[in-house]
Amino acid sequence: MTIDAAPTASCFAVPSAPVDARITDTLVGTRRLMRLVLRRDRARLSLWVVGLVGLMAVSARSIASLYETPGQIRTYVDTVGDNPALVMFAGPGYGFDDATVGAILVNETSLWVALAAALMNVFLVVRHTRTEEDTERLDLVGSLVVGRHAPAAATLLVAGMANLAVAVGCTVAAIAFGFATAGSIALGASIGLTGLAFGAASAAGAQVASTGRSALGASVGLVGLAFVVRGIGDVAAPALSWSTPFGWGLGVRAFAGERWWTLLGLVGFAIGLFVFAVWLSARRDLGSGLLSQHTGPATASPSTRRPLGLAVRIQRVVFVGWAVGIVAAGLVYGSLADEIEAMVADNPELADYFAGAGGATLAESYLATTMQMMALVIGGYAISATLRTRHGEIRGTAESMLATPLTRWWWAGSTLVVATVTSLLLVGVAGLTIGMSYAASVGDWSEIGTMMVAASSVAPTVLVLIGVATMLFGWVPRATVAAWGVLAFVAIVTLFGPVLRLPDWVVDLSPLARMSAVPAEDWNTTSVVVMMVVAAALVAVGLVGFARRDLATG
Amino acid sequence: MATIIECSGLVKTFGATSALDGLDLRVAHGEVHGFLGPNGSGKTVTIRVLLGLLRQNDGEARLFGADPWKHAVALHRRLAYVPGDTNLWPNLTGGEIIDLLGDLRGGLDETRRDDLIERFDLDPTKKARAYSKGNRQKVALVSALASDAELLILDEPTAGLDPLMEAVFQDVVLDVVANGRTVLLSSHILAEVERLCDRVTIIRKGRAVESGSLADLRVLSRTTMTAGIDGDSSAIADLAGVHEFRRDGSQVTFEVDHGAMSDVVRHLATFDVSSLSSTPPTLEQLFLRHYDDELRSLSETT
Repeated sequence: MTIDAAPTASCFAVPSAPVDARITDTLVGTRRLMRLVLRRDRARLSLWVVGLVGLMAVSARSIASLYETPGQIRTYVDTVGDNPALVMFAGPGYGFDDATVGAILVNETSLWVALAAALMNVFLVVRHTRTEEDTERLDLVGSLVVGRHAPAAATLLVAGMANLAVAVGCTVAAIAFGFATAGSIALGASIGLTGLAFGAASAAGAQVASTGRSALGASVGLVGLAFVVRGIGDVAAPALSWSTPFGWGLGVRAFAGERWWTLLGLVGFAIGLFVFAVWLSARRDLGSGLLSQHTGPATASPSTRRPLGLAVRIQRVVFVGWAVGIVAAGLVYGSLADEIEAMVADNPELADYFAGAGGATLAESYLATTMQMMALVIGGYAISATLRTRHGEIRGTAESMLATPLTRWWWAGSTLVVATVTSLLLVGVAGLTIGMSYAASVGDWSEIGTMMVAASSVAPTVLVLIGVATMLFGWVPRATVAAWGVLAFVAIVTLFGPVLRLPDWVVDLSPLARMSAVPAEDWNTTSVVVMMVVAAALVAVGLVGFARRDLATG
Repeated sequence: MATIIECSGLVKTFGATSALDGLDLRVAHGEVHGFLGPNGSGKTVTIRVLLGLLRQNDGEARLFGADPWKHAVALHRRLAYVPGDTNLWPNLTGGEIIDLLGDLRGGLDETRRDDLIERFDLDPTKKARAYSKGNRQKVALVSALASDAELLILDEPTAGLDPLMEAVFQDVVLDVVANGRTVLLSSHILAEVERLCDRVTIIRKGRAVESGSLADLRVLSRTTMTAGIDGDSSAIADLAGVHEFRRDGSQVTFEVDHGAMSDVVRHLATFDVSSLSSTPPTLEQLFLRHYDDELRSLSETT
């Protein structure tokens, strides 16, 4: 680059247009920043990659041994194949006409592993872009010889590496357990590229949102939206599926006459969204969002002056965002239940199957499954709301609060009360909206009550997760992240339990597995009471630990 | 005079690293007590013990005569704390946070709050995430200073404030003390400490190395003397209690131990002295003297 000698007078002139930097200049330092991202996240990312590949490997092994003969495969397809409830939560079942064991592997694993990969990417990208700006560390980085787009580019390159590792790992795992090579590659690649597409989407989301937290909320919301839209699409309107990366990922038809070009579509998603993110970043200042900040009241309202009111005030916006998402998902999932009843009428074999399995109708088992999914998702909200305690401890707000005449019990207790009440409200909202839309579609308003009972039946699971998070916060504050591991365990038991043929004692460790799946199963007072006692005990023990320990700011 | 803060032999370790190693600290009622020490010497850990946020491994801490860990809540009614790096809730406004912290402490004086907001030139309607470091610091300061707390614990409270605001801070602290309140001020700004503090405690590696009024500390330290002397004055260098003797033409500069002052002055009278000035040690000199051995031991080990 040459610097032209400028006339002295121009030293005082303000350039009228931004200096036309070459694109390579804005990427200076990318490689060094990549090393920084890898250094900071090496444990985290390794855990994600090993977890995702491990999940694929154990599923592949289990499925390969469960479905060895054409007869076994046909039984699977006959019972699962056209079940719209499973289409919603598994995929359209490509290749079931002339089924192979590979098609079963795709149906059982592809969507969920891709969903987990999407979350891995969202967390990684938001953490190293928008959240980093909030901490003002990016100011420091920006003061070094680093191009404007280097932090985002470095993060996405690391995300690319992680996705490549997941893709290769899943491919190798499937091939190792005897699945066809081409199909295994298509499966692995579709998972990795779906993850990357969402990584790029959150890079764009990080530009729009005004804080790391809202960027994370928006990006996770986008993943959820895409998940629901793909489900609706495959059940009711196939065109809709193609508006989401999940649809393109499943659309590769692994093990069922691969359509490789859909992978290019995913690459297109990723590149397009990244370019969009770069375009957006040129239009805002570091540290601010494109959505502007509003001012607020100059004095605190009477309620904000109390710990409980403060906890409400802090959680308010997040809760409303979640409530909107749950209402939308609840209405959609509830309304599809009727569709499923209609399809069952055309398929007496399927009806027989479900009639044989404990007497529940297809709609009932679908609604019960939906309620379990809702409990898992709301479990995530519950943990994050509970860990506001830990968040405040790290940020230093706990210190400011506890230097006032406020007991530790009250300080942590107000956050816990808000976490508990809002989580239960969300479970209630889920039950109510699913019940309402299902009731409206079948014209039987008693269904609302049934779904409220279903909601009450899974609610203690969410309380146990709050208890687990509180327990960790009280006794091992630096390991609170393990609460997410517990949620992951509950999710894996719920989603993969049958396929993995987990031993009973492992399944029984999951609080969700202990709750009866209303309306497919009968309400069980004992398990509800027992789980609530367990949750209360965990919370109490956690609070005792917190009252006794040093504040751990690091 | 009543003792507000009393620590004796405080020990706090984090695993293998020792943060406090037998620290003593005494703060009397109605004084501004300077709490000085290099980074990592244990000032903030001491304050966290005083706030009952950490529990010491050994030794005793007393705040208003009570154990800060056991009686944290009762004691917090009587104190206000300003951390050195104030983190605030990003989605609350500065005004809301001032009220919140004030109320949690047991109420704050509304007129004083508004007066302080004006004096510190703070916009209370902005969300905390929009504040600069200095403005975040002002939020914590206004809230603490507008309270009726008997004791203010300020941990590098003016980090990030501009000089104008620094001056405002000093005036407000002097007002506060005039009302009979007590301040523990940890600071690196020595001019601030010299203007505000009655007594100081200097700590190093988790241990108090010096404590007393500034006047006492000065007395204990060497005074710098400068004199204009015609003729040979090199004999001064040999006097007991004289150090760092330097001569530049007729100008001589040297340091004198506190106890040797009268002997040195008597001896000076035997010379042809054209000018004489004596400067008590600045706080900076006092301070640096304690760090000096650290620097020296560092250079020895390398």
